[in-house]
Parts: sequence; C-alpha cells; structure tokens
Amino acid sequence: MIFYIIRRLVAAVPTLLAVLTLVFLIVRVVPGDPAIAILGDRATPEGVAALHARLGLDKSIWQQYVDFLTQSLSGDFGRSMVTGRPILSDVAAVLPHTLDLTLASLIVGCIIGVPIGIWAALHRNRAIDYAARLLSLIGLSFPVFVSGIFILMVFALHWRLFPVIGNARLDDPLDRLNKLVLPAATLGLVMAAYITRVTRSAMLSVLGEDYIRTARAKGVPWRRVVWRHGLRNAAMPVVTVVGLYIGILIGNSVLTEIVFNRPGLGKIIVGALNQRDYTMLQGLMVIYCFLIVVVNLITDLTYGIIDPRVKQ
Amino acid sequence: MLIRAALLASALAFATPAFAQPKTTLSVGIAAQDIGQLDPHFAVSTIDRVIAAWMFNGLVRFPPGSIDPAKLEGDLAEKWESSPDGLTWTFHLRHGVQFHGGFGELTADDVVFSLKKAGEAKTSAFSSELRPFQTIEAVDPYTVRLVLKDHVPSVLGILTNYSQGFIVSKKAVEQRGDDFKRNPIGTGPFAFASVTPNQSLELVAHDGYFRGAPKLKKISYRFIPSDASRDLAFQSGELDLNYGRADQAWVNRTKALPHTIVDVFEPAEEGELHLNTTVKPLDDIRVRQAIAYAINRPELVRWRGADVSREGQSVVPRGYLGFTADNGLVANNVDKAKALLKEAGYPDGITIKMIQSQLPEMLTAAQVFQAQFKRAGINLDLQVVEHATYHQQIRQDLSPIVYYSAARFPVADVYLTQFFHSRSIVKTPTAVTNFSHCNVADAEIDGARVATDKAKQIALWVEAQKKIVAQVCAVPMFETLLVFARHDNLDYGYKLEGSMSLGPLITEATHFK
Repeated sequence: MIFYIIRRLVAAVPTLLAVLTLVFLIVRVVPGDPAIAILGDRATPEGVAALHARLGLDKSIWQQYVDFLTQSLSGDFGRSMVTGRPILSDVAAVLPHTLDLTLASLIVGCIIGVPIGIWAALHRNRAIDYAARLLSLIGLSFPVFVSGIFILMVFALHWRLFPVIGNARLDDPLDRLNKLVLPAATLGLVMAAYITRVTRSAMLSVLGEDYIRTARAKGVPWRRVVWRHGLRNAAMPVVTVVGLYIGILIGNSVLTEIVFNRPGLGKIIVGALNQRDYTMLQGLMVIYCFLIVVVNLITDLTYGIIDPRVKQ
Repeated sequence: MLIRAALLASALAFATPAFAQPKTTLSVGIAAQDIGQLDPHFAVSTIDRVIAAWMFNGLVRFPPGSIDPAKLEGDLAEKWESSPDGLTWTFHLRHGVQFHGGFGELTADDVVFSLKKAGEAKTSAFSSELRPFQTIEAVDPYTVRLVLKDHVPSVLGILTNYSQGFIVSKKAVEQRGDDFKRNPIGTGPFAFASVTPNQSLELVAHDGYFRGAPKLKKISYRFIPSDASRDLAFQSGELDLNYGRADQAWVNRTKALPHTIVDVFEPAEEGELHLNTTVKPLDDIRVRQAIAYAINRPELVRWRGADVSREGQSVVPRGYLGFTADNGLVANNVDKAKALLKEAGYPDGITIKMIQSQLPEMLTAAQVFQAQFKRAGINLDLQVVEHATYHQQIRQDLSPIVYYSAARFPVADVYLTQFFHSRSIVKTPTAVTNFSHCNVADAEIDGARVATDKAKQIALWVEAQKKIVAQVCAVPMFETLLVFARHDNLDYGYKLEGSMSLGPLITEATHFK
C-alpha cells in the first residue's frame, strides 16, 4: 500500500510541473495588467513602469518562469502582488473553511443521497422513485445563489437561527459549526441530488445482475442482498462521482462562499483573477492541483477497500 | 413569590449592564473580496480609500461631511501662511500628535518624508499630484516649508486628507519596509489591528488621538461581495453600516426598512462618453454631434433613479470649482442626429465599436446608451470584456468610444487636465485618461493653472469647457452619487453631505445612540 501511494505521488510530479507551466503561461496570456489593476484610475505610464519593476514584471518571461519554478519547487509560493501577504499564509487562513464546507456537504450529500438512491432503485417506476427523481432534478436545477439566498432568508433572517455572515473563528468549534450549517446544507443538497441519481442508476444496474438473482434464489434475506451484494458493487460509480465532486467543490464552491460570506479557496481564486494577481493565481493553482491529486489518490484507495480486485 | 422575586432580581442584574453599556463596536459591510492596499499612497479603490481616511490625517482636511474646497481647515497643521507670490507655503504643525502603536510624536520629518514618498512613482500611485513642488523641507520639528515650481489651482487641495496628502510615520515605513503596506501606521482616530484574508479587517480606537479618544472602540470592516447577502446581514442587525447601491429600487427598498437611514452623498462620479476625435468615423465632428444629440439625459436619470443620479451638465462634474452649465451642451434631438449622420455621408446609419467592462453597473448603462443610439441610427457595437482587460485596452487606445465614470478632487483643473489636456492622451509617455485625443483647450487649462486672479482662472475653466463641448470630445451622461445605509442608532457626529474618501468618515465623535 505504501509503495502504491508513493508511486502515485511520484506520478503526480509531471502533472504538477505541467500545471505550473500552463498556469504561468495562461495568466500572462489573459489580457489585463496587474499594475493597471492595482493602480486603477491612477495608472500612468510612469507609475505602471515603476510597479512593473517592483513586482518583477519587467524581467524577461524566461527569467520570471525560472524564478517561479525555483520558488515553487522550494515550497515558497511568494507573496500576493496586490496585498503583499505571503500566499501560503492566505491559503492556510482559508483552507480549513474550504475543507470544512467540502467535507460537511459531502457528509450531507451522502447521508441523504445514498439511501434515497437505493430506495428509488428498489421502487423503480413507482411513486417513491418518481418523487426521488423529481427532487433530485429540483436539487440540480436550483443554482446555489438562489437556494442559498432563500435558505438565508428563512433560517437567518426570519427565524434568526443562524447568522448571515458565515466567517467563523477557527479556534471556536461551536462558532465554526454554527456558521457551517446553512452553507453545508445548501451545497450538500446539490450533492445529494447528484448522488441520488448515480446511486439509483448504479443500483438498478447491479440489481439486474445474475449474482443478485442467485443470492435471492439461495434464500439470502433481501435486506442482506441489497446491502451486501447490491450496494457494495454499486458503490464504485458513486465513489467516482463523489471523488470528482470533491475536487470540483474545493475550488468551485465560490458561489456558496460568496452567498454565505465564507472565506474559501474559490473566492480567493476569483479575487486573484479579477486583480490579475499573477503570483497568487500561480500559487493557488499549484495548491489546488496538489489537493486534486490527493483527492484522486484517496478515491483510488477507496476503490481498493470496496473492491479487493483493484488491489491486485 | 420569593422565588419569582429572586428570579426577577437576578434577571435584572444580568440585564442592566447590557442596557447600560452603549455599543462601541461598529460593523461595516463593504462590497469587496478582500482589502487591497493599506499604504494610503496606493489606496486607489473605494474599499481601500474608505478605510485609509479612518487611519490617516493630512496637513489640512475637509470638515467631516463636506467636500467643499473653500471650507478646508487645519488637520495636522495648526496654521499656515504663503509668501506674497504664492509660491512658498509654510505649515506649522500641531504639538503632541501621536502616531499609532507607540511610534511617537509627529514631526516635520514625517511630513517631509510622507510628501516625498507620495511624490515618487515607486512608492505612490499619486506621484503626479506632487509634481508642482520644487522643494519640501523641515524648517524645525514643527514647521514644514514647501516651494512650488509654479502656481497651482489649489495647494491646500494637494495636501488635504485625501490620497497623496495622507501623512505616514517615517519611522514605521523605514522599520517595516514592504511590510508597512500590511501593517500601516498613521495618526488617525483608528489604528490598524489585524486583517483576516477574505473575511474582515479590524481597527481599534487610537486613544491618543489628538482630537480626543474615539467613542467607538473597534471597527470591523467586513468584506461581503454579494449585494444580497450584505443586505440580509444589514437587515439581521449583523451590520451597522452597509455599502449601498446607486440604484433607485435598492434605495426605496432599504429606506422602507425599520430604523434605517440611507445616506446619499457627494462626490458624484460623472460618466462621460469619450469620443476618439482622431479615428474614423469619429474624426468627423458631425458624427460626434450626432452622438451628442442621440443621448437623452433625462431618460438616463429616470432609469438610474432620481435620488441617486442627476444629469451630467458639463464635461466637468457639477459642484467642482470652475464648473459651468452654460457651455452649449445640446439636448436630445433624434431628428437632428439623423440629419447630421446623413450630412456626414451615413444616411443608412453607422456602426461604432465600444469596448465595455462586464461590471454590471457599467454594462447596463452601456446597454441603455446602445438603445438610445439605435433610435438615431447609430449601432453601438459593444465588445464586452472583463474589467481588468477593459482598463488595459482603453489605455491602449483600442476603443473609439470609451465610457468612463470618475470623481476627482473638486476643482475643474484636475478633471480637465486628466481627461482633456493633450499631455494626458493615452499611449503617450505622459498619458493619463485623455481617451478622446482632445487638445482644443490646452491653453485655457494651462493658463488657469497658473492664474493668480481667481476670476480670470474661473473664466478660463469656463472657456475650456465650452471649447471641449463644442468639439464634442466627450458627451456628459449622468452623475452617480454615493450611497450607504445605516441603522438609525449610529450617529456619525456630523452631517454627511460629502466625503472624498468615498465612504462615511468615522471620526472620534462617531457613536451609537
């Protein structure tokens, strides 16, 4: 297992290098000058030139690339061009919030989505199945900025159960939990909709297999057939979707973060893009890519737990 | 009975202090992802400018709530005098002004250092504002002398509590170096305490403030980019002061909330269409005149909202020293616009490109212009790009028409120089924001700057506006005022009519009732 993990991590190095290079190129190809973004209205040629020199943008593109690679490989992602703050400290300040939200919505999504998906599959083309499909369609159709605002209006403004501003103190677990409930519910419901559909479809496929029929013929109790033989085999596509979705959530929960005023990686990425904060974008992309590699690794390891054949 | 009495007594014991202690923490919601620059000489965005004014002072200041240059009063300087020729200015500093964080007493060295820093392109975004000064020197620890190269319209205007005029601690800048922009030190009523990326910035009262200890003890400046969420947080009482939207529907809705006051104040940002007079078909004045006739300003104000906007009346915003509405600006006349186009050789109409930012408030305005243009047979081809790209491309002279909205120091010279003097033409070494390549009023703008006779100076500014309007270098559209909402228990301590920092000034007198 250890060797497998090491092998996977080593295999990720070329991916990371390719991402580093692509990110470096893309942020420079996109029109828009960070100096003009920083100086705004007051961007005179003299001011822009002075800021370029200060930010190291007057160096040749190759020199900038070498500097960037050297720094990144030594684990130093530098400082934000706009705020001057170290990138790692900015990321460290928001990453716990992102992970909180990702994991909490994953839990909500699985707790709701898996049982409903199984239930719907077991009652195919009956009222329960139709209801589950309709609800999952609604869950997928409502954008977070609509459902989030609605949830805020009901639970934060009308019933005053939770705060509107969701920037929790990391050293206070209760505060952290209190401010996680609404965004995790919002995002978790979307995730539940996905998981319901995938679970339903995977279960339907598995329940039609010969070994299920054999197990039933042998007199294995139905509950055991479903949980032991059905769900375990149907879990592979569900785990795949969940793994992919976690990767998307880490960087793309920006709308949830904005609506619920939560700090997060997605929000920083958008801010850095708007400001043409090259260094911040580069650093964030590398960190994001690393997280994706880790998530994929965990997904692969989970395959091995569910299906022993994968290990072989 | 005894138990009820005991319960009541204990409840009162807990409840009384809560009622007795006035609230001293101000929570402000601002439309931002994060803070940008805390060094006041780089504070160009609204988000940064609002907060800089709470932490720093200038030699002189606008009285809180005012942006009238005629009312400028002493801030860090107690008094000042100028030489008979108006070229040498001597400022006498207050004694005992303390910097935040134990950085000691303000002296002339700090003032000289700050103004030189603000005048250097490497260390300031406002360096061009300090160009008129030949020397800046400390005469003694409490006296600063400034010598001008030539006359400027408003020396005090350069040195006020605004952008380049903010005074920083020399010791702190030298000691902290690049870290100063993350941990600034000023003399204002509130001192920087901490910033949590993506969440909020905290300020604490500067108890040694020279005008007295602030009544508020803490300010939490919260970054909430979503308008809807910020409004909900304001309604739920989590925010005391909320950055508003210059939108009539928003104002009406917010005004209707209980215990809420909506403040609409100066300076207004004037939006103008700058027409590049050097490219086809805009090099033909008849086409530019057709555009001027195609614009319906009363309709624009109806669309934007009467409480938050007003018609643009000149190429200089209303209320600026030297502004005139008597400049020959034409009113909407679609027939006349069509006739002019026909005369210019475009009987079937014309298509003109305009690069436009995707920022909603800018894009929706451009779409309204587009609809008005269409009535006159002008097809405005909007090429929508992301905001940073828009700023870069308009400075590369790529957009024949540029819609630009701005507020500047309220003296005509600043607006006229930056937008209409040939020195400021984009893509030149001295470029600022002259997108129209206008050069018809250089003599008047230059003449007014050095004029010592105030009446003559104003006459020259008026003449400049008439010439620019006649040449249709730009078409004024509408002016948009600033909007903030607050709960009625928050008292600024002054009447808010204007604020050059683009947000309410929080002073030592600001408190909760």
